[in-house]
Amino acid sequence: MFVVRIWNYLRGYAIIIVKGLKIERFINLAVVNNIYIWDIQKLDYTTVKAKIGLENFSRLREIVKRTDSTVNVLEKRGLPFFIKSVKRRKLFYSALLLLAVLIYVMSSFIWMIEIVGVKQVEKEKIIRQLYAEGLREGVYKGKINKRVIENRILIHMPELSWIGIQIKGTKAVVEVVEKREEPPIVSRNDACDIVAAKDGVIQKLLALNGDSLVKDGETVRKGQVLVTGRIVRQGLDVRYVHAMAQVNARTWHEDAEEILLQQVEYKQTGRTDRQYKLKILDREFSRKRTAKFKEFNEYIRERNLLSFGDYIFPVKLIEYKYMELEPEIKQITVEEAKARCAERLGARIKLQIPEDAVVLNKKIDYYVDQKTVKAKIAVEILEDIAAKRKIEQEEPLPEPSPAKPAP
Amino acid sequence: MNKRNRKLREKISNAFELPQDIIMDVAKVTIIGTNQVTIENHKGIIEYGENQIRINIGSGILILDGKHLAIKAILQEEITIMGEISGISF
Repeated sequence: MFVVRIWNYLRGYAIIIVKGLKIERFINLAVVNNIYIWDIQKLDYTTVKAKIGLENFSRLREIVKRTDSTVNVLEKRGLPFFIKSVKRRKLFYSALLLLAVLIYVMSSFIWMIEIVGVKQVEKEKIIRQLYAEGLREGVYKGKINKRVIENRILIHMPELSWIGIQIKGTKAVVEVVEKREEPPIVSRNDACDIVAAKDGVIQKLLALNGDSLVKDGETVRKGQVLVTGRIVRQGLDVRYVHAMAQVNARTWHEDAEEILLQQVEYKQTGRTDRQYKLKILDREFSRKRTAKFKEFNEYIRERNLLSFGDYIFPVKLIEYKYMELEPEIKQITVEEAKARCAERLGARIKLQIPEDAVVLNKKIDYYVDQKTVKAKIAVEILEDIAAKRKIEQEEPLPEPSPAKPAP
Repeated sequence: MNKRNRKLREKISNAFELPQDIIMDVAKVTIIGTNQVTIENHKGIIEYGENQIRINIGSGILILDGKHLAIKAILQEEITIMGEISGISF
């Protein structure tokens, strides 16, 4: 049916009104003479409305004469008539076409750059770098090679650990992830102290260079100087050295976890609901969107509807799929809860402990009441807590004095 | 088609179990749902009204009753009628 309609549209047709007493005869004669008419509709006793192909219209005259009826054209439809109107209104349609071309052309350039995820690095610096790599406002989208720009910017800006460029319509969204700030590295030529990186009890302190200030078994706080690079000897000038030491200390790590004995588990009931939204450029068109269900999981999928070669039209269909969930209350035993607590705590505490540390002691305490199980983990480990800190001194290091290990 | 020829054709059709609408010039009426009727091998419209359409089918007259009846398409050998059909009689 649809194909027939398109065919009729392409050839052009007229909607006619036939008036006369011998309507049936009119239709029969048309059929016999191979004149295709369709969508015949009776309006009143003597009139019908019908559609007729453009090329058959002139052949109706004969039948009109023989059946003593009148024919009026109500409307002309189809491509041939449209072309005629285009020819008549050249300026209007050429302006329309120009507009469409203009929109197409304009939407193939970048008009906006947005930077997401900056915290400490200056936005200006990133933008300058982007400009240098060729991503700027007004640049043709086809010329942008996202991967190359990303790589080059990462090389030029070591303060970033990741960069991602996404082109959304005429907007370029640049997402960056900054590197975490690393402690400044103290050069071997600079004088420094050894300080404690964490609270702990010194197990064994081995000073390779510098004077140690604490003894084994002593409790130290974070930031406390353990080995100093400032060497004071009676009768000699004060010397500054690059202190080095291995400080094995016992440190503690704690964490807590709580698990309810009544666990709510969500199960899919199998009922789903779908809703659709149309997105043109950045504007969304939809009816009011609400899920039918009380508890549900939501899945969102976007699909581009049109593309023209490499160019994707900014028309998107967004599908929202809801899957109904049913809460199910489950009672777990104290033993199960304890096991879960232990599992979670074990996994979490592992993240706090350096890989080369030795675990000396591990203890989990449980506190059980009617509704919950609480657990507390305490881990004692042996780790190196030495950290270097530069000494801010007035005079520079005395020249070539080979650093001697302190007594 | 004279009477003898007609008898012969009917016999052939029965003997070989061939459909009558192909061998003989008999109308074939197809009804789709309650709103579309297609008649093949018709002999023209006798009366066309909004509530009743009468069609010559050679061996008699087919009467279609209903509301808002419209002729969707009409060709030499086939006619399609749409509308709320309430009855078909011969």
